[in-house]
Amino acid sequence: MDCVGCGEPKARPDKPHTFFAHEYVNCPGCGERGEARIVLRSGQVWELLRCARCGPVERLHHADAGAYVSSFLERGEAAVSAGGEHLFKRTTSVCPGCLRLLEVDVVIRAGKVYFRKSCPSCGPSEALVSEDARYYVRAYSFARAGTEPLHYSQEAEHGCPTDCGVCDEHEQHTCLPIIEVTDHCNLECPICIVNNQYSTHMSLDDFHSIIDGMVRREGTCESVALSGGEPTSHPQILELIRIAGRSEIGRVVVITNGLRLGRDRAFAEAIKESGAYIALQLDGFTADTHEKIRGRDLVADKDAALRVLKELNIPTQLVFVATRGANEHQIGQAVDLFLREDHILSLNFQPAAFTGFGGGKYPGDPMDRLTIPGVIQRVEEQTGGRLKKSDFFPLPCSHPQCVSLTYLMRLEDGSYLPFARFVDFTRFGTLLRSSATLPANAEIHEALHDVIHDVFARGGEIERGPEVLAALRGLLLQMFPDRPLTSREQVRIGEGRAKSIFLHHYMDRHDFDLERLRKCCHHYPQADGRVMPACGFNMFHRGAAKGPDTAVAQFARPAANGAGRSLPVVQGA
Amino acid sequence: MSGGLLQGRVALVTGGSRGLGRAICKVLAREGAAVAFNYVKSEKQAQDAVRELRESGTRAWAFAASVLDKSAIDAMVGTVEQEAGPIDVLVNNAGVGQVVPLALMEESDWDGMMDTHVKGAFLVTQSVLRGMIRLKRGRILNVSSLAGVKMLQAPVHYCAAKAALKGFTEGLAKEIGRYGITVNCIAPGILEEGVSANVPPANREEYLRHCALRRLGTVDEIAEVVAFLVSDRNGYMNGATVVVDGGV
Repeated sequence: MDCVGCGEPKARPDKPHTFFAHEYVNCPGCGERGEARIVLRSGQVWELLRCARCGPVERLHHADAGAYVSSFLERGEAAVSAGGEHLFKRTTSVCPGCLRLLEVDVVIRAGKVYFRKSCPSCGPSEALVSEDARYYVRAYSFARAGTEPLHYSQEAEHGCPTDCGVCDEHEQHTCLPIIEVTDHCNLECPICIVNNQYSTHMSLDDFHSIIDGMVRREGTCESVALSGGEPTSHPQILELIRIAGRSEIGRVVVITNGLRLGRDRAFAEAIKESGAYIALQLDGFTADTHEKIRGRDLVADKDAALRVLKELNIPTQLVFVATRGANEHQIGQAVDLFLREDHILSLNFQPAAFTGFGGGKYPGDPMDRLTIPGVIQRVEEQTGGRLKKSDFFPLPCSHPQCVSLTYLMRLEDGSYLPFARFVDFTRFGTLLRSSATLPANAEIHEALHDVIHDVFARGGEIERGPEVLAALRGLLLQMFPDRPLTSREQVRIGEGRAKSIFLHHYMDRHDFDLERLRKCCHHYPQADGRVMPACGFNMFHRGAAKGPDTAVAQFARPAANGAGRSLPVVQGA
Repeated sequence: MSGGLLQGRVALVTGGSRGLGRAICKVLAREGAAVAFNYVKSEKQAQDAVRELRESGTRAWAFAASVLDKSAIDAMVGTVEQEAGPIDVLVNNAGVGQVVPLALMEESDWDGMMDTHVKGAFLVTQSVLRGMIRLKRGRILNVSSLAGVKMLQAPVHYCAAKAALKGFTEGLAKEIGRYGITVNCIAPGILEEGVSANVPPANREEYLRHCALRRLGTVDEIAEVVAFLVSDRNGYMNGATVVVDGGV
């Protein structure tokens, strides 16, 4: 599956296999135990192991991929139904105390999923991984082949995560590059997942080099995100946007807390003029929620930012860090705002990750936290069923445990209907993409035709069937006119017709899963040419997994400003 | 009837009360299909046809509905699906003949010819297709003409309409092949009855001079080919136009 359509599918080939999971196996050469990639290839299941002694080794794991996947899912479903505690599988996580890599049990207990860890130095620990074990198990059925970049940054040598940057054993290309253009910020958020040092604004030369590198590796990108720190504190932010706005890049997104936008009208107008999109951090609507998550009352600042974004009709994405005990009761309000405003194109819920400068010290309980199913549950409860749990599906582009999403189609009367009400995503997985909107590419064209015929055939069984067909007709005619569209036009047209809600759960030292990192597609490009999967960078390279001054892994190569001491890493336990 | 080419299938034939359409209904029924057809003017012939089909042991229905009346078509298709089950076979046979040179052709002549053959096929197909996609199988056969695929002395609007059906066949075959539905086209030469009855004697003689079999075809001969084309025995033919003309 070509997950983003940022570029021609033929230019970026699919992986020759579907990455399914990690599993501990013994090396067929030396017998040493290690974690292998389990991949589905040509109807069979293969182990791809990088043995410390023997190097890369392949071995047939199961002769029938379909039977293997069915058995895997049935095992999980049985564990959910049986009650009690059951071992579902094993994976690699880290000790929350010393950050040592550990082989851990993934157990299902009372309808939830936990990691059960045992660190030789720090002792046993547990962490909640999913509030809905059935969702967790079924998500594996959404595994799809990843896509390769045109060029990898480096070759695999020691294995994951040591070779991060990314190597050719990574299972997904860069769907969303997030470029941290500054480590300055005008807030000190208690939930901040990065590590602001107040030392560096990225130079134009470095930024040029990163953009050039992304285009060389990816061909084209649907989106490039500028982050920080607070990117609007970069003195040349408008110049950075201009540099990123080249034809190979569909949209430039500035991820911001919105303070400068709300206070500086001329700057907001310049952003509008630049054509950039705004991803506005908006985690609540009251003083107390802001204080808990962002450190102070931001109601007036957020209102000002929202007002100017609306007045100037700047395409906007909302980013809501959903945190247990802080703002979970305002999730529905965020959905209402998103559905009400035409210029708000997507809503991204991020269950809080306890990592980084602020988040690493945040007093969250790793056994009682929000995960993706928990946020979806609250969406349903707080929107009075306008959106339902069944509207959301795991995104197969990344690891299916990382992201869940729903697309909403605009009907002719201006209301929105979730695609899941008329699309069976288990059949039309192509429509599940990492993009906030649907681009007008050949892949989507084909998928839309399938959907149209399916809706047409099911007729009266579908909620608002005739309206859906009318909207699909409008979508098709507008997205695929009788003239070629530029990639930017494709993006814009898709935005006018469909919105999306994403739930993206970044990982921390409690729920880190190397298997998920393997297929990460949200990457931090570095000036030295590396492209770092986000959670691996946060965990091992930033030196902030437990707050500022956390030791970095011994293999880590932090960004230029990231100091830190080395941390011993043990593969397996 | 057991062991026929269309045992247990449900077929809808447009323009089935007389001529080629009636012959097609008869052969499809003989091969085991339940048969429904529509008609516009020939009420008595339609009743005769239904009686004939039922007497042969076939379930049969006739509907007074124009192929240009969308709501009537939808009602017809709904009734057939309710009473007989999902429609497996559609034969777009309804047509008209009119011998008039281009110089004398009225705009209404052109529209009438194109509407009946092309728009009618579109409307009926769209109505039937819903069930076929749901079923993930189906056979659609469009009745074109040799005049639509070869240069013949025939009215221009008739040639154009029949040629359009060939394009309709190919486009639709490509579009819905993924659902296991095949769409083909049959192009008969001049027949002894049906629309061919309008062919002027001089044109008929010209045709016979070029036909290797030295005779006109019969509606029964075409109907036999139709029965095979819409059967499961014909699984891999799609988007094709089969010419049945005695060798011209």
